[in-house]
Amino acid sequence: MEQHIVKLTDAENQLADLLQAAGAADAKAALTEHGLPHRRIEEYHYTDLRTLLRDVPAELAKANDDLPSEQFNGFSRVVIVNGKLVHADAIDGVEIKSVDVAKKVGDDQIINLMDGFAQSQIEISISKSLNKPIHIAQVHAGADSVAASKLKVTSADGVEATIIETFEGQNDRGLRFADCAMDVAANSNLLHLQLDQNATGARQFVQNCYDLHEKANLRTFVTHANFQLGRTDVKAEFKGEGAHADFAGLTLLMDKQHGDFTLNVNHAVPNTTSTESFKSIVRDRAKAIFQGKIIVAPDAQKTDAQMMSQGLLLSERAEVLVKPELEIFADDVLCAHGATCGELDADALFYLMSRGIPRAEAESMLIKAFLAELFDEIEDEQIHAKLENRVDAWLAATE
Amino acid sequence: MTTPILEIKNLHVKVEDEDKQILKGVDLTLPAGEVHAIMGRNGSGKSTLSYVLAGKEGYEVTEGQVLFMGEDLLEMGADERAAAGLFLAFQYPIEIPGVATMTFLKAALNAQRKTRGEEELKIPDFMKLVKDAANQLEINQDMLKRPLNVGFSGGEKKRAEILQMALMQPSLCVLDETDSGLDIDALKVVSDGVNHLRDANRSMLVITHYQRLLNYIVPDRVHVFSDGRVVESGDRELALELEKKGYAEFDGTAA
Repeated sequence: MEQHIVKLTDAENQLADLLQAAGAADAKAALTEHGLPHRRIEEYHYTDLRTLLRDVPAELAKANDDLPSEQFNGFSRVVIVNGKLVHADAIDGVEIKSVDVAKKVGDDQIINLMDGFAQSQIEISISKSLNKPIHIAQVHAGADSVAASKLKVTSADGVEATIIETFEGQNDRGLRFADCAMDVAANSNLLHLQLDQNATGARQFVQNCYDLHEKANLRTFVTHANFQLGRTDVKAEFKGEGAHADFAGLTLLMDKQHGDFTLNVNHAVPNTTSTESFKSIVRDRAKAIFQGKIIVAPDAQKTDAQMMSQGLLLSERAEVLVKPELEIFADDVLCAHGATCGELDADALFYLMSRGIPRAEAESMLIKAFLAELFDEIEDEQIHAKLENRVDAWLAATE
Repeated sequence: MTTPILEIKNLHVKVEDEDKQILKGVDLTLPAGEVHAIMGRNGSGKSTLSYVLAGKEGYEVTEGQVLFMGEDLLEMGADERAAAGLFLAFQYPIEIPGVATMTFLKAALNAQRKTRGEEELKIPDFMKLVKDAANQLEINQDMLKRPLNVGFSGGEKKRAEILQMALMQPSLCVLDETDSGLDIDALKVVSDGVNHLRDANRSMLVITHYQRLLNYIVPDRVHVFSDGRVVESGDRELALELEKKGYAEFDGTAA
């Protein structure tokens, strides 16, 4: 038998010890055997965690019941601190509870860490359409530590709901994991947003799994802006005909930030459609990664999947790395992927400046123009305004 | 004698990072209130002159000077030149998807006012200003709701340029091939718009290679441009003569 000998880094040893402390012996054994994902593992080719994750906190996050300040007027509110449910508004037609989870181990060490550190699963079952969004504040509180949360959302047939998660935290070198599984029932219509609001040094790993049933409709929107290192792994599976999903992401990175969106969208049944629209703006030495894989199963005829990734480079050493993949096994499908990457248009910039608009303002106008249609799908005014403020703040921070 | 609006003195310009010299000693004085035409064949450097005046990057001034109302124009950024009262009507106005025309107009007007230390326009005043100017140029409100220049026809783009000019009330208008892509009707509307802005305190530099435009916008002086400099200057008659004889007569090369 072939023997793998991996010399673990200090960070890997530290994580192994923490897994032991969290009662995840199997995950520890897997990590000790394989180490963190590195560039020779295809899914992590551009996000080599043996290099990028060199220091990790020395302790697990402790229970903390401090409630963060409210961010949205009139939204229902659920607060998860360090992976533990600490508050949930009473919402008509929604059941929220925390259950124990059995730990399991797979091939992806990051997912193993996610499962290994999570102590409970918070389940949200939506049985009635909601007239206001649910805001789930995901807080990483206390000193630098490792935290993990596990969330499962299920919708009943035909319900409409908006769920917005905010990843909040003040601990500057924190390491957090967040797992979210959504079961989008037949005929239901869900909007799922995730806004990162971490401290600048935070490291964040998120996995979003979606199961889409017959005629389900899903829209997702994720931001990558506030962390040192972040990865969002999206896994979607179409299980019922007539379902549709839009996956969108906004990346705004500067300094040496590293953000990775990795998508795996599986059109497993006929007559399903999806769009994937991701926009990245990077400056300084920041790196934005987009890996998007669309799979169309052999009998998934009439699939329509349209994937687009657009990058805007504001500095010479900033990078946008894009890897779109289509694996199509059916013959009657419409699938396309496109990727663009470039700088601000010098002619457009001159045109605006020649009308008296100073360079910084002209650049902002063009950057916002680049992002324009990304927010079109978000109807809620508060969320829309929050996203626009986020972009403004980012632009102001770099002027 | 009052200070001319524009004085170009022995201006030499080359393309940055290339050896190619484009302007080779341009001399031109444009007094306040006058309209001067620059005529020349394609490639003579007319458009480069307009870009250099407006402050486009990518050119290097190797010799000479440009004074705008007595101030060193070449020291100013493109935005500062606009705020100081220089306006370039582009030969090919740039399409900018994602920027609404009205948003752009408001940003531009207020940016200029801010640079000049003036207060921002109030929204109703701004709306009225745009509406009045648009009506005069036969620009409908739908066009103003579209993204800047996106999907505009050639004629609409040129009218939008003149609309901007009317709103910004510049001291110096540089019109780069404003007649290109216009049919006779559009040419008339655009020319009327330009003529309406003729004023004792405003000068215009009209760049064209056809005499036709000058039937509508009648210049005080005509300069013939060839191989990067002015080779002949005269009154209105010079344009007619040029039309009759062709450029070869003036620059010594066959057409």
